[in-house]
Amino acid sequence: MPPVQQRRRPFARLFDNRATLILTLLAPVMTFFIVFNTIPTLWLLGLSFYNFSLTSGMPPDFVGFRNFFAILASKNGIWFDLSRTFTFVLCGVTIQTLLGAMLGFLFWGSKDMPGRRIALTLLFAPMVLTPVASGTFFRFIYDPTFGVLNYLGRALFDSGPIDFLGNPELAFWAVLAVDCWMWTPFMTLMTLAALGSVPKAELEAAEIDRVPFLRRLTLVIWHHGKFIMMLGILLRTIDSFKTLDLIIPMTKGGPGQTTRLVALELNKQAFESFNMGWSSAYAVLLLLISIAMTSAFIFVLSLRRRRENGA
Amino acid sequence: MTNSFDKRAGSGLMVPRRSLLKGGAALGLSTFLGAPFINRLHAQESHPLAGQSIEMNILGIAGWVPSSLGVKMSPLFAEYVKEKYGYDVSFNFQEAPFADLFQKAATSLVTRSQEFNIIISDSQWLGALAQPGWILQLNDVIAQNPALDIDWYSKTVVDTYMTYPDGSQNIWGLPQEGDVEALFVRKDWLDDPKEREAFKAKYDVELPSTFEDFENLTMDEFEKVADFFTRPDEQRWGFAQQYSRVYDFATCAFNNFLWSRGGELWDAETGQVEGVLNTPENAASLEEYKRWLKYCPPGATNIGIAEGIDVFTQGKVFATIQWAAVGPAMITEELEGKVLVVPPPKHQAPGAEPKRIYSMGGQPWVINAFNDEQKMRVAIDFMNWWYQPETALEFAKRGGNPCDKATLSRDDFDDINPWNRTYKFMLEDGRSQDFWHDPKYSEMLSVQQEGYSSFVTGQSTDAQAVMDYIACAQHQILYDSGTAKEAPSDSCAMTSL
Repeated sequence: MPPVQQRRRPFARLFDNRATLILTLLAPVMTFFIVFNTIPTLWLLGLSFYNFSLTSGMPPDFVGFRNFFAILASKNGIWFDLSRTFTFVLCGVTIQTLLGAMLGFLFWGSKDMPGRRIALTLLFAPMVLTPVASGTFFRFIYDPTFGVLNYLGRALFDSGPIDFLGNPELAFWAVLAVDCWMWTPFMTLMTLAALGSVPKAELEAAEIDRVPFLRRLTLVIWHHGKFIMMLGILLRTIDSFKTLDLIIPMTKGGPGQTTRLVALELNKQAFESFNMGWSSAYAVLLLLISIAMTSAFIFVLSLRRRRENGA
Repeated sequence: MTNSFDKRAGSGLMVPRRSLLKGGAALGLSTFLGAPFINRLHAQESHPLAGQSIEMNILGIAGWVPSSLGVKMSPLFAEYVKEKYGYDVSFNFQEAPFADLFQKAATSLVTRSQEFNIIISDSQWLGALAQPGWILQLNDVIAQNPALDIDWYSKTVVDTYMTYPDGSQNIWGLPQEGDVEALFVRKDWLDDPKEREAFKAKYDVELPSTFEDFENLTMDEFEKVADFFTRPDEQRWGFAQQYSRVYDFATCAFNNFLWSRGGELWDAETGQVEGVLNTPENAASLEEYKRWLKYCPPGATNIGIAEGIDVFTQGKVFATIQWAAVGPAMITEELEGKVLVVPPPKHQAPGAEPKRIYSMGGQPWVINAFNDEQKMRVAIDFMNWWYQPETALEFAKRGGNPCDKATLSRDDFDDINPWNRTYKFMLEDGRSQDFWHDPKYSEMLSVQQEGYSSFVTGQSTDAQAVMDYIACAQHQILYDSGTAKEAPSDSCAMTSL
């Protein structure tokens, strides 16, 4: 019987080369990434330098940076939208992280808690709902005439109708509350993952040494779990920055402009007004902001690591 | 044996009588059985699509009764063309809500797709669809199809559903559904003797109760009725109208105040908005529009079409200004016989005569300019069928609002639906009008909706400042697109909500 090597096809021998194997495995993903991510992004970048509206019937007209200047100079425009968006992100992510961490600690030490699985299932249910569905039924829940919240308010506290989504002082917080309801379970998951990464030996050693809980939290738990928590905060920050499909069914950016976030304005310009040049420039600006936020997070993370390695 | 066929009599062939009788019977039977086919062959006009099977796609408006009526009647068209032209047609339908329909249509049309062969478009989109060449201009089609050269009920129909630019002779759409604003009132509340007595005691006038009473009613007089029926402790309110920021709901409701009180949105000839929209009179109209919130149920700032139907059908309000097109949804089984549909009240600006000019609604059919020859032919046949008198009457009987003079002038038209008399009344020239058909309609509408919503919800408290903001923003949009001849003034830089 001839040796195995002599019977192998030339094609199979290609994969003996490690570099070839890696490239072959990566090729489908890279192709997909280039076709559906890189090329559209470059196209977007190019279009941002043109004045082009789909409904005008006119061909694209090169205008250089005019779209960018118009966006940045616009009163009632991007700066107000960004301030509202950053407020939304900051408040939302903070509340979700704190609540999520509390719930994470609650379930971490409760393996024997009766009904734990049911409680966890109910807890994670909002996360699997689509934002449009959540927005739609919360709109009904908040309704001042037919909504459950107002019904309970009337029944329990004899309160008058509260127009959560029509009152400019309440609408923003009403939408934020729904966002927190949806995504706190995500931060709970991240907290549980972070807590799961803490070596049991160190935890037990800290218990034996009777280290106070707060010191245990900072010296042991946070020391090991912070990377996962920071990753969770980063993911929520980026996702929260893009909030659109929750707002559309609830308020459509209203009342007035109180819930008009950057993604909503971009959607309106791109897919309602079909101002492709202007909206491409807007998207490029938002992309730069997202890259800046991500870079800041990674810098902070790597700074801590460098300090620890240096220490 | 002599063959009977060999016998000759004179110069003719002698055929046995039995054979003759059998032959005659066979001929008679085949004529009887074949007559429908022969008639059909004669009745069928020669048509380039005869014998073919074509699939057509219509894009309509989700949750909108008149749009679904057009869709439900399409099998009648299939029967019609089979009989008349000898081809088969089947329809696929897609729908999107009002607020998303233009987006769905535009993203398909921009790729020159035949995804939608016929579209039920909102009237304001004519410019946005016509300017980039997405829909078929119909002047030649009408010239070649005399049945489409219809005597419409009023010039308002042509201006609203057919022409772009405004005032031109360029025809881009044909009316699918006419629509006007009507006042739906609870007749049973009006007819209640106790209510009538109490109203008379309070205001020393009778409660209006007939079409003619409401035809002559002004907003000041109607306000007494709205106030009388506003009883929050009973969970009942006197009035509802649209205030929602979504789509064009607030705009259509506010325009009723603006136009009736003598205001204008813009100068269509010059594209001038600044100085036309943001007059002190229009700002006063905006304040008046907001003032009526006190007669509306809680959450009225979010009332759109669907919410307006809900509050009325659930017995929360006495009267609602609502589109006649949703009459079938407004008059539910429980409300049969309890609803009166009347013209909405006249407005009286200070020092002026009472006047009513309300918003036009409704949708035209538009035809995809990228249809191939086959589908274009079917689309035109569809239009020819749609505007046949019997089709228009059937549409009306099913709850739709046709726009041709012949159908609306029928003696029995007013009796077909409870809103028909008001529909005809408001469709007459000078009582209803549409707003801009400009390609920049969507951007201008968005600014306007934001501004009106901001004011009625209290985010902005200065009506003049809001009107200044809207006028300047819209003027800038039109100037950037080349429609407005002059740039906005320097004072526009200071405007904000």
